[in-house]
Amino acid sequence: MSTALNDKTTGYEPLIVAFCCNWCSYAGGDLAGTSRMSYPANVRVIRVPCCGRMNPMFVLRAFQRGADGVLVAGCHPGDCHYSTGNYHGRRRLSAFKRLVEFAGFEPERFEVRWISSSEGDKFAEEMEQMTAKIKALGPNRKMRDARWQSVT
Amino acid sequence: MAERNLEQLEKIREVVSQDLLSGRIELLLGWEKGHYWWQSRPLFARSKDDLAKLTWDSFCAVNLSRYLLEELKDHQKVGVLVKGCDSRAFNRLLQDNMVERDRVVLYGLPCPGILDYKLLAAEAGPELKGIAEENGKIVLKTASGEVEVKRDQFLMAKCRECLYPDPVVYDQMLLEPQGKKEAPERFKAVDELETLTPEERFAYWEKELSRCLRCYACRQACPYCSCRECFVEQENPRWQGRAYQPSENFLFHLVRAYHGAGRCIDCGECQRACPVDIPLQELNRKLIKDINELYGDYEAGLDAELEPPLLTYRPDDPAAFSEK
Repeated sequence: MSTALNDKTTGYEPLIVAFCCNWCSYAGGDLAGTSRMSYPANVRVIRVPCCGRMNPMFVLRAFQRGADGVLVAGCHPGDCHYSTGNYHGRRRLSAFKRLVEFAGFEPERFEVRWISSSEGDKFAEEMEQMTAKIKALGPNRKMRDARWQSVT
Repeated sequence: MAERNLEQLEKIREVVSQDLLSGRIELLLGWEKGHYWWQSRPLFARSKDDLAKLTWDSFCAVNLSRYLLEELKDHQKVGVLVKGCDSRAFNRLLQDNMVERDRVVLYGLPCPGILDYKLLAAEAGPELKGIAEENGKIVLKTASGEVEVKRDQFLMAKCRECLYPDPVVYDQMLLEPQGKKEAPERFKAVDELETLTPEERFAYWEKELSRCLRCYACRQACPYCSCRECFVEQENPRWQGRAYQPSENFLFHLVRAYHGAGRCIDCGECQRACPVDIPLQELNRKLIKDINELYGDYEAGLDAELEPPLLTYRPDDPAAFSEK
């Protein structure tokens, strides 16, 4: 992963990895695009089948390899394509979020959001907010792999 | 020597030797004395001669249920001596379909708490020769004489906040049960860490985890770590790097603890097995505390029929992130 936007003259640009569920949030991102809404290019979207598919190691690996913030986005509770994936995801990700905070991560670094496929505007807005929050927080060095280098 | 109660030991030996000789069980998992008087290691008894080595004293810390995973491959029927935590570990394995209930005979032993040699040695000095016990007191025998101390102060960390000293599942209870205990300070260390800032917490864990050798003794001792292939040894994808650096230590410890979310019986075997004293129970207890807070009280291993909280859900569950 690279922070290709890291412009040395204007300062710090964070790298945000967004895991988006195939059925709602990824489609929400699509809608934001086709509606010509703009959101920060700091966000890298990774498509997952469902937020219930999230393996906590995905999140930790992202932090190891350069992410300053990680966002998981899934369908609103009750709207899961697989009926119950996001209900299970909600429990698991809640426990996991508290655990990474316990290990010393700032709460803003790892977030979970519900974004439906019709909420292109919400998708753009959440990405905007997340980027602003991480920008204010500064770069993440916690759990960064010692061998990782920013490719700018 | 450290025999707590020879009468109790005789009673245990009588019952299990009957079963072993009659063929009710092929193998008994118990404890025998190790190289030093303060060590009791697992005993795999197949004959009467083996049973002569059986011991039951204040150092029988090892959780024997874990050994069922291996022993049931070679034996049709296995007997196990279970303390409170061993019995909850058995329930854990039962829930994961790793053992068959009717191939195991459980002999219940209510546990008064295991003693920590390091604490005893710190009190008595290096020339500690042995201990004697009666009525909640320990007599420390040293070259220069005997000192009497209170038993409670020398319990292992894992036993100090034990809620269920009596076995919760057994075929036969061998000794007198002692009832549920209180554990008012179970989450004290977690609460204290939670009051720190993220930076302070990170510094704390970075320091503690920096000692980690990644020997995986914690996993090996753990009754919930029963996967046939553990993520740390998986080659593709290779989640756990081999490099010695904080990043890899954090990955291992967070994921190890997280795999126990809603499943950890809080027996403390991981922390006891750790050669560098990493406070692993604090991570485990953090998850237990949060899951209890968010999804209702649940004690893993108490009842094998109850569904673990992370395998189920309610539509109106709260979430720990800002959006419901």
